[in-house]
Amino acid sequence: MKATLSQWKAELLRTGRDRRFFLLTLGMPVAFYLIFINQQGGDAQIAGTFWGEYFMVSMAAFGVLGSSINTFGVRLAAERKGGWVRLLRTTPLSSFGYALAKTLTQLTLSLLIVIVVFAVAHFSQHVDLAPARWLEIVAWLWLGSLPFAALGVLIGMAGNAAQALGTLVYLALSMLGGLWTPVQALPKTMQEVARWMPTYHFARPAWNLLSGHSVQWSDVAILLAYFVLFISLAALVQRRVDSRPEG
Amino acid sequence: MDAVVEMTSVTKEFGSKQAVRNVSLAVARGSAVALLGPNGAGKTTSIAMMLGLLRPTRGQVRLFGGDPGSAGQHAHMGVMLQSVSVPDRLTVVETINLFRGFYPAPLPTERLLAAAGLKEEGRTMAHRLSGGKMRRLQFALAMAGDPQALFLDEPTVGMDVTSRRQFWDELRGFIASGKTLLLTTHDLQEADMVADRVIVMNEGAIVADAPPERIKMEFGGRQVSFAAGAGVDLAQLDRLPDVLGVQTAGRKVMIRTTDSDALLRRLIQGEWDISDIQVTGAGLEDAFVRLTTEMGERA
Repeated sequence: MKATLSQWKAELLRTGRDRRFFLLTLGMPVAFYLIFINQQGGDAQIAGTFWGEYFMVSMAAFGVLGSSINTFGVRLAAERKGGWVRLLRTTPLSSFGYALAKTLTQLTLSLLIVIVVFAVAHFSQHVDLAPARWLEIVAWLWLGSLPFAALGVLIGMAGNAAQALGTLVYLALSMLGGLWTPVQALPKTMQEVARWMPTYHFARPAWNLLSGHSVQWSDVAILLAYFVLFISLAALVQRRVDSRPEG
Repeated sequence: MDAVVEMTSVTKEFGSKQAVRNVSLAVARGSAVALLGPNGAGKTTSIAMMLGLLRPTRGQVRLFGGDPGSAGQHAHMGVMLQSVSVPDRLTVVETINLFRGFYPAPLPTERLLAAAGLKEEGRTMAHRLSGGKMRRLQFALAMAGDPQALFLDEPTVGMDVTSRRQFWDELRGFIASGKTLLLTTHDLQEADMVADRVIVMNEGAIVADAPPERIKMEFGGRQVSFAAGAGVDLAQLDRLPDVLGVQTAGRKVMIRTTDSDALLRRLIQGEWDISDIQVTGAGLEDAFVRLTTEMGERA
């Protein structure tokens, strides 16, 4: 446990110095929120709630996705490529402890992003919810971020292609899952595609919570399925990559 | 269990290629072992199996009497691997402290910085260190847990002369305190300096396993060199007893011999017209080159 905490602490220290994290991963959802909210007006009605609240959830989800892929996945790829993960495997830090530290880091960052985006919405658009509602939505976005951490692991297996692949997946999942443009505003075929996106099932329960509905089990089930899919693929790729010969 | 590492009939195959062939060896506690061999000899693959980074295709590897892949076996050892880059955005001290956090009883940070000669660089971002200092940082990481055994894969690659001297001094102190060392290196002279046992590998198999002195005597002998006067018939040198080989460059002669004392006596008593006589121990390098070519000829 001490080893895991040591790793967790170092990860947070690194993120605190990561300009890319603040400018892009955290900065983009905040900037998008401030820009697009003014184009539509935060008071516009959508899906039983207001645009200012709805888009706040969208951008929080967008931020969580970004940190899972850009901060977590790309960093993991670099650590694997640079032989660092190999070296760690010779220390008392177990693979499980390493994975746990990475997950804790990712959960910490997800929470930070959700809170920052919510704070921006609260102070710029006067979004105000009942305390219990805030907590529910934060808790959902926090725990629901786990499948995306698993996606980060999978992207971390991509080696040199991780950065490019990550960016592609980041943008595609955000757009197709309805995080940029609400699903209701998309053409029919795009709406059908959205229904298969993990991002859609990640954001939808939070949108539902805004309009007073509860989390649906179908969303949880689909996210769980994605979680299992990403982790299994990552394990499969890892086994192939790690059994290669060396000098 | 007295052996730090024990390999029993270990074979590792990658596809149809055999990287390690039926290797058995035990590294006793308190010994300093150098693993030598050309590229592709199977040294790094062997170390990787000892550390649990690779699983053997056949045979068994035990580390501290247990499974090398289990993190629980790693509490009392330190490792330097080849071509490892440290994470970005951490200082030297933070990187060392990250590793210290992995071990039950780590050495103090100050002690590690001193051992690696990085006292001035504590606040430098670790990934920006020059090649030599990077290797020294990795030595500090290997020492972080106050290890009983060190595994070093080509540790001095990239180090400058001063770094190396300090590094070997540290290693000698480590060995003198009764701890165990296993290293691979291309710098055979340096292996000669610290190891009390040399294991030579070629094409995946062990071809020699002896103290460095024996390896040198058996396979390299000593080297006698001198300048020969105009009257000396160089062709006769080959016919002297105990001579393994003769090289000439102009009137400069280098003789490799199994018994330099007898050869010198013969040369002096025979009143050969020679001057500038020098006797040197043939380095492990020579032994190694000869050994691998002999193995090649036999095959």
